[in-house]
Amino acid sequence: MNAQRYKPKQASLGHRLWQQRQLLFMSVPMLLYILLFSYAPLWGWLTAFMDYKPAKPMFDNAWVGLANFRWLFSRAEFMLAIRNTFMMSIITLVFNTVSAITLAVLLNEITARKFKRTVQTVTYLPHFLSWVIVVGLAQNMFATDGIVNAVLLRLGLIQSPLFFLGEGRYFWWLVGLIHIWKEAGWNSIIYLSAMSSIDPALYEAAEMDGAGRFKRIWHITLPGIKSTFVVLLVMNIGMLIGGQGDGNFDIPYLMGQNLLMDWSQTIDIFVLKYGISKGQYGRATAAGIFKSVVAIVLLFSANRIAKRLDEPTLL
Amino acid sequence: MNKKTLSRSRWRRSSHYWNAAFHTANVLFMLALMVVTLYPVVNTIAISFNDGTDALRGGIHVWPRAFSLESYRGVLSDEYVFSAFFISVSHTLIQTVLNLVLTSMLAYTLSRREFILRKFITTVFVLTMYVNAGLIPNYLLISRTLGLGKSYWVYIIPTMLSCFNMIVIRTYILNLPDALVESARIDGAGEFRIFWQIIAPLCLPVLATVALFVAVGAWNSWFDTHLYNAGKPKLHSLQYLLKMKLATTQASTNAAMSSTAALSAKPTSTPITIRAAITVISALPIMLVYPFLQKYFVVGLSIGSVKG
Amino acid sequence: MKRRLLRTLAFLLLLAFVFPMIPHAARAEEPIVVSVFIADAFDQPTSDNKIYKLIEEEFGIKFEFEFLAGDLDETLGIKIAGQDYADLICGSNSAEKLIDAGAHIDLLEYITPEKTPNLWAHYEPHLKRITVDGALYVLPNYGRIYNDPIVNYANGPAFWIQKKVLAWDNYPMIKTVDQYFDLLLRYKEAHPTTEDGLPTSGFEILTDGWRNFCLLNPVQHLMGRPNDGGVFVHWDDNYKVDVFHNKPYAKPYYQKLNEVFHKGLIDQDTLVQNFDQYLAKLSSGRVLGMFDQYWNFQNATDSLNAQKKFEDTYIGLPLVYDESTKEQYLDQPIINVNRGFGISVNCEYPERLVNMFERMLDDDWQILFHWGIEGEDYYVENGRFLRTDEQKSNAENAVWVNANKAKQFFYNAPKKEGTMDNGNSWDPGLQPELYFELMSDYDKEFLSKYNMKTPAEFFRPAPPNQPYYAAWQIDLNPFPDIQDINTHMTDIQARDLPRAIMAPAGEFDSVWDAFVAELDNAGVKEFEEFMQKIILELNDKLS
Repeated sequence: MNAQRYKPKQASLGHRLWQQRQLLFMSVPMLLYILLFSYAPLWGWLTAFMDYKPAKPMFDNAWVGLANFRWLFSRAEFMLAIRNTFMMSIITLVFNTVSAITLAVLLNEITARKFKRTVQTVTYLPHFLSWVIVVGLAQNMFATDGIVNAVLLRLGLIQSPLFFLGEGRYFWWLVGLIHIWKEAGWNSIIYLSAMSSIDPALYEAAEMDGAGRFKRIWHITLPGIKSTFVVLLVMNIGMLIGGQGDGNFDIPYLMGQNLLMDWSQTIDIFVLKYGISKGQYGRATAAGIFKSVVAIVLLFSANRIAKRLDEPTLL
Repeated sequence: MNKKTLSRSRWRRSSHYWNAAFHTANVLFMLALMVVTLYPVVNTIAISFNDGTDALRGGIHVWPRAFSLESYRGVLSDEYVFSAFFISVSHTLIQTVLNLVLTSMLAYTLSRREFILRKFITTVFVLTMYVNAGLIPNYLLISRTLGLGKSYWVYIIPTMLSCFNMIVIRTYILNLPDALVESARIDGAGEFRIFWQIIAPLCLPVLATVALFVAVGAWNSWFDTHLYNAGKPKLHSLQYLLKMKLATTQASTNAAMSSTAALSAKPTSTPITIRAAITVISALPIMLVYPFLQKYFVVGLSIGSVKG
Repeated sequence: MKRRLLRTLAFLLLLAFVFPMIPHAARAEEPIVVSVFIADAFDQPTSDNKIYKLIEEEFGIKFEFEFLAGDLDETLGIKIAGQDYADLICGSNSAEKLIDAGAHIDLLEYITPEKTPNLWAHYEPHLKRITVDGALYVLPNYGRIYNDPIVNYANGPAFWIQKKVLAWDNYPMIKTVDQYFDLLLRYKEAHPTTEDGLPTSGFEILTDGWRNFCLLNPVQHLMGRPNDGGVFVHWDDNYKVDVFHNKPYAKPYYQKLNEVFHKGLIDQDTLVQNFDQYLAKLSSGRVLGMFDQYWNFQNATDSLNAQKKFEDTYIGLPLVYDESTKEQYLDQPIINVNRGFGISVNCEYPERLVNMFERMLDDDWQILFHWGIEGEDYYVENGRFLRTDEQKSNAENAVWVNANKAKQFFYNAPKKEGTMDNGNSWDPGLQPELYFELMSDYDKEFLSKYNMKTPAEFFRPAPPNQPYYAAWQIDLNPFPDIQDINTHMTDIQARDLPRAIMAPAGEFDSVWDAFVAELDNAGVKEFEEFMQKIILELNDKLS
C-alpha cells in the first residue's frame, strides 16, 4: 500500500510565530534580559581603541586606533603567555574530563547506595576550599622534602628528590594534577546526573545477552553520557584561551611568580600586571577582545567538527 | 526500585572471579580517593581549631596541636555576622529558585527543534560565556544606569540567568524521549504546561545538579558586595565579611610604614588559622546541601514515568 | 533667710535648665553622617565603640566606613569611573590614581596659619614635599615627628641572624657579607640539625609575590644606602641613578649566594616557597639567617617568643661589602606623601571636616587616640605614661581594639609622632618603659654582652636624608612607558636572580651576563635617565 504522507504546506512566518507564542513568552523575556546585561555593556569595547582614563567622560579620551593591540603583540611575554595559557588549559581540560568521567563511571558501578553517597560527598569537598589553601598544601606536598618525593624515593622510582616546584618542565603538569585533586569530584557530578537518565532496562538486557561489565560500560554508560560529554567539551574548547574561576589564574599566580615565570605567566596575569594595575584599561580591554575573538573562533570550530562527526552540537 | 533490586540479585548470582576483583579494586580505589580528597579538608579543619601562633610553625596534619577556639571567636564575634548570614542565606535561596525556574524554562524552549528563534537565542546566549565587556562598563550599567547599587537587589537582579547551566539542562532534556512531548501535545497541553508538569519532574537529577551549582555560586559570592555594597555593613554577604576578616588579619601583620602599626595587635589568630576558620564557616552550610540533593540523583526516575 | 534660700534654689534650678542649652546653642551643628572610604582592609568598628562615641559627642559626626576587600587598583578604577567618592577618601598605596583623577579638593583653601594653627604648624615644615603643583590634596598620616624620634629597634631592612649563632661564636661584631656567611657556614657545619632534630637551614630568601624584596633589595644596602626602592642613587655624581641589580657591584653578592648555595647553606626550596612556608620555617627555629624587613616576619618572632625559644629569635645586622663603606640602613622618618585622608569633591562639609582635624591635633585628642582614656587604658606615674598588664594585653587584642580604639580612622588621620613635650612617647609601642617590660630576659642579657640596651644600637643612627628621599615615593602613574619598563625589569629580576643563585658551578658568569643583557634590553637606561631627571627636579623643589 502506497502510504504517502501528506506534508502540510509550510506555514507563514506570522502564523508560526502565533503557533509558538507560548514558547516565545517563555524565552523572549530572557533574551531581552541577556541583551541588557551581557550585550549592552559591550560599548566598553570601544575603550580598547582609546587611551582610556576612567576619570574622563568616555568620549573625551584620545583615540589611538590599534595601538593597544599592537603593544600587546609586540611584547614577547604576551606571546609567551598565550602559549602558557593554551598549554595549561589543554592539559587541565584533558585531565579534568578524563578524571571526571572515570570517577563517574566507577561510582556508577558501585551499588551500595550509602557507600556511593559517601564517596560522592567526600570527593567533592575540596571544591569548597580556596585555591590559596589547596595550592599551599600542594606546595608542601611537592617540596623537596615533601611527601611526594618521600614516596617516590621509598618506592625506588627515583634516586634523589625531584625539584618539582622549581623546574619549568613540571609546572604545567602540576597545574593539571592540582586541578584534579580539587575539582574531579565536583566535575563528576554533571556526569553522574546524566547517567541517571540512562534506562536501567538497557543494562539488564545487556547482561542477559552476556555482556560483561566493561562491555556494559562501553556500550551503555559511555554512550549515555555522550551528549553531555560533547557539549561540555565544545564549551571548554572555547574556554581554552582562559575562562573564569577555572584555577588557571590562581595556580600560576600563587605558585609561579618566580623563576618559573616563563612557564607560568598566563594572559590574565600579564593583563593584570600591565593593564589594570597600571590603570591601562584600554590595554586590558584590548586583551579581552582578543580573548573573546579567539574563544569564539575555537567555539565555532569545535562545534563544526562535532556536527561533522555527527555528534550533538552546541549551536 | 524493584528493577534495581532485581538486577542486583542477578548480579550477585553471576559473580565471576574478575567481577569480584573489579569490585574490590573499585572500592579500594574509592577509599584511597576519599583519603586523598579528605586530607585537605581535615587539615583545614585541624588548623582552624589550632592556636594561631602555634600554627605558624606548620606541621599540623589531621589534628590540632594546640587547641584553640580563638580564630572562630575572632571571626564570629563580629556584630554583623548574623545579619551577613541572613543576607547570604536569603540571597542563596532566592537566587537558586529564581535562576532555576527561569533557566530551565529557557532550556526547555531551546530544546524544541521546531522553535523559530532556537538557533538565534542559543547563539546569543552561548556567546555571552566568551564575551565580557569588562569590569567598568558592567559596573556602570548596574550602579549608574539601573541604580541597583547600595541595595539588596543588586544580588538578585543581575543573576537571574546562567548560560552554562542552561546548556546543561537543555542537553538533558534533549535526551528525553520525544514521545513524551508529542503525546502531551496531542492531548492538547500547552507548552508551558508540558514544561511544568511533564518535563520538569523528569529532569530532577539535572535540576538538582544545577540547583547545587547556582546555590554554591550565590553562597560564595562576595564580589558583588565588594563592588556595590561595601559601605553598607548591614548588606554584607557572609563571604564578604569573612574575606574582610582575613584581609584585616593579613594587614595587621603587614604594616610597613610605622612602628606603631607593627607593634599593635600581636595576634593569637594569624592569617593561617583565620583562613582555615573562615573556610570551615563558609563551606559548612553549603556542604550540607548536597547530601540533601543527592536523593534526586536516582537512576531510572525519568524512564520509569514514561513506561509506567 | 528662708526667702533667700528659696531664691538661691530657684536660681540654681533655672541654671540647671539653661545650662545644658548653652552648649547646644554654642555648637549649633547638626549631627551629620560622613562616609569614609579607606583602600585598606580593616574591621568595621563596633557600634558602641567608645572613641567614635566621643567623636560623635564633640563633633556631631558619625562615620560610615567602607574598606577594601578586593584588588586595590581595580577598586579605585571603578570608583573613578563611577565618580562615586565618599566624603573622606584614602587611596592607600595607589592614592595617586585618585589625585590624578581629580577626586580630591585642595585643602589649602581651608588650611591657613590663622584659621588652623595646629594643622599649619603640623605640616608647614613639609609643605613643599606634600603639595602637588601648589595644592594639598592629602593630609599625610605618618612621618611628622615632634621632638625626639624614639628608635628602639630596626623595623626595616637588615640581614638577620639568630642570636644563638652570635652567642656560639662568642658575640662577634659582624660587619661584612663575607664575615656573615662565613659564620653561618661554620655554625651549620657544627649544627646540622636543631635540638628538635630538624635540619638546619642556613640562609632563607623569600621570593613570594610582592615580598620578593628579600631577594631584590640587599645590594643597595651593601653599598651603604638606605632603602631607596629599586635604585641606587649616586649622591655625589649629580644624582646619577642606577638600577643596581645588573651593575658590576651587584654581582659579588649573588655570586656569594651561588657559592654558599653549592656549599649547602641555602635550600633550593627557599626560592619557590610561599610566605606561609617561610614563616613556618622561621617559627621552627631552624633558620640561621635571612635578609628581610622586621615587620615581615613579626609573626614568626611572636611564635618563637611564645615557644620560649628566645635564642632562636633574630637580631638585625647592617652588613656592607667591606668595612670601608659606612652603612646606612636606618633612615630618618619621612613624611608619608599622599598617604592619608583627603576630602573628596562630593563632600558637602569640607570646612567642618577640616576643623575637626584641626581640633583633633590638640594634645588631648592625640593622647586619646594614641593612648586612650587615663585610668582606663593607661595610668600616669611620676609623669610617665604606663600600662598595667591588663591594659597591655587589651591593646593587643583585636576584638577589644575594635570596641575601644578608633584604629580605622586614626591610622589614616594626621597624628603627632615622636615625643610629647612632657617626655612621653606619643606612640605607646615606643614608650621605653613598656618596650623594656616586654623584652625577654634572654634578650636583655644578649644585648648586654654587646654593651647595648636596644637592638637599634647595632645600627648607625640615621643621618639627615637627601632632599629627594625616598625614590620609591615617586609617582610613576603619569608615565605609562616608564611603568612598563619598571614592571618588566622587576619580572626579569624575579626570574633570573634565583636562576643565577642556583646556577651550576662554573655557569654563574654566563647566567649573570645573560641577565645583565636582558635587563639592559628592557630599557634600563631610559628608566635610569628618567629617574635622574625627576630626582634632580625634586631636589630643586625641596631644598
